[in-house]
Amino acid sequence: MKKTIQRFFETLRPRFEKGGRFQRWYAFYESIETIFFAPGVPTTATPHVRDSLDVKRYMASVVVVLLPLLVFGMYNTGYQSQLASGKTPELLLSFWIGFKAVIPLVIVSYLFGFGWEIVFARIRGHEISEGVFVTAMLFPLTLPPTTPLWQAAMGISFGVVIGKEIFGGTGRNFLNPALAGRAFLYFAYPVQMSGDAVWTVLSGARQTAVDAFSSATPLVVAFEAKTAGAVEEALAEVGYPFWKLFFGLYPDSIGASSTFLCLVGALVLMAIGVASYRIIVGDILGVVLTGAVLNLIATEGSIPYMTMNPLYHLIIGGTAFGIAFMTTDPVSAPDLHPARWIYGFLIGALTVLIRVFNPAFPEGIMLAILFMNVFAPLLDHVVLKFRLRRRIANV
Amino acid sequence: MENLISIFVNSVFVGNILLAYFLGMCSYLAVSQNLKTSAGLGVAVIFVLAITTPANWAVYHFLLAPGALSWAGLPEMDLSFLKFILFIAVIAGMVQVVEMVIDRYSQTLYNSLGVFLPLITVNCAILGTSLFMVERRYSFAESVVFGIGSGTGWALAILAMATVMQKLRYADVPEGLQGFGIRMITTGLMAMAFMLFSGITL
Repeated sequence: MKKTIQRFFETLRPRFEKGGRFQRWYAFYESIETIFFAPGVPTTATPHVRDSLDVKRYMASVVVVLLPLLVFGMYNTGYQSQLASGKTPELLLSFWIGFKAVIPLVIVSYLFGFGWEIVFARIRGHEISEGVFVTAMLFPLTLPPTTPLWQAAMGISFGVVIGKEIFGGTGRNFLNPALAGRAFLYFAYPVQMSGDAVWTVLSGARQTAVDAFSSATPLVVAFEAKTAGAVEEALAEVGYPFWKLFFGLYPDSIGASSTFLCLVGALVLMAIGVASYRIIVGDILGVVLTGAVLNLIATEGSIPYMTMNPLYHLIIGGTAFGIAFMTTDPVSAPDLHPARWIYGFLIGALTVLIRVFNPAFPEGIMLAILFMNVFAPLLDHVVLKFRLRRRIANV
Repeated sequence: MENLISIFVNSVFVGNILLAYFLGMCSYLAVSQNLKTSAGLGVAVIFVLAITTPANWAVYHFLLAPGALSWAGLPEMDLSFLKFILFIAVIAGMVQVVEMVIDRYSQTLYNSLGVFLPLITVNCAILGTSLFMVERRYSFAESVVFGIGSGTGWALAILAMATVMQKLRYADVPEGLQGFGIRMITTGLMAMAFMLFSGITL
């Protein structure tokens, strides 16, 4: 079997190489061949690490980990949709409704993301990089399920072209492309990206959800909680107890609701060495410690949100998703270990601060990550300077 | 005290003079390829803002504002239309003095700042900060903090930009976008990230 495939590619390769008939499609050919075989050409530019893990396999592992989130996201979308129509959710029907709502977004995201990658690979002569597979998978998972398809296309195009390709493709950008596209949509089309109504797909001819259904996301409920010290109760009252929030059956972005699956994904990625545990632990520490400090300094007259149990910050909204899959993006994160700790911690801290104190954004993690992406090179630089200073000169 | 802290945080992050108001772009775009000069210029801007904002506060409140000349027996006088020309004159004079002092006491800093120190005179962030100070009716203490805060925000932005530019040395930018093009886009993306703080009311 292996021999046959190998022979197949070996006969095809000369036609795509320089001088061959299809040489302009080499990038496309190369991307197919490396699915089956690790690339035969070693990296020539320094610095690089000798490893059997190439970019394609590195990125594919992230996509694999994201698949359960996509499936659960589909189920959750359908589940919420049925609740909103006043029906008792059925398992298969939920999947079907969610499938119809989510899969077009994923397809559009891949079509446009991959399309731009091919256009740039073709014109600029670089290889089709697998980074776009991850970007195009992450991007729809961060969207509300009601996003119009053309907006999804706009967002992924912005993310891939402005966020990445104009810097020369995967590995050369400084912002996370998926988040850049998401933030672009957030500021360009706030009506479709925020508010209470966008998180639930309404099925059939229904224009509004039934009265018994609360479409407010936990983030909004927590922000608007009235009594200090009882934010958790306020959440439970509208139907968001701790375990429900943890497992993710509540209206939110398609893939970001389930803390449980994000945790599993993060553990897998850390175990196989793709995600940096320093960033993830730093993130969690940042969220929990900042939440705890807010608990301590909260007084009678302060915002009730400040008194929320810090652990809740990890399970509501997109924190878990962002921590597991966005902050660990190796390109936009800093490279040195101490810098990674600081980077993670500041993302966590900023997320909580923005959630509590910035009424403009219910969710802070998206922009907190982008903000720290901007400062990641500076963190690296400062850590490096500090290290060089400790070194004994010319002994 | 709380008020002063909130003005500081506001001017560094929420209303960053460079990434929220886009003032002081020219020297920022020109200098940011070089980290060392960027850091030097950042410090110089903080310093100049910290002295010119209060100085202009004094000029405005004792000479220009409506009724400011009452100490000279002219309570009817309103010279506030002169604030642009007088502010820029004060800034130019201050920068001259700073330049001479640095030249006298720290030759190395003087050499590393080079032409950028006199260029601070025409940095719009400096004049902009003074004008914002008038518009927002800051008191003297507030104007000092606002000056330092704006300068810190500007320095933070140029430092971030310079390090990002260092990272982008490995980038492969299409021909038409090299140089200013990519720097403008990078600044735009940075400004988008700085939107994080927009909406916070301190």
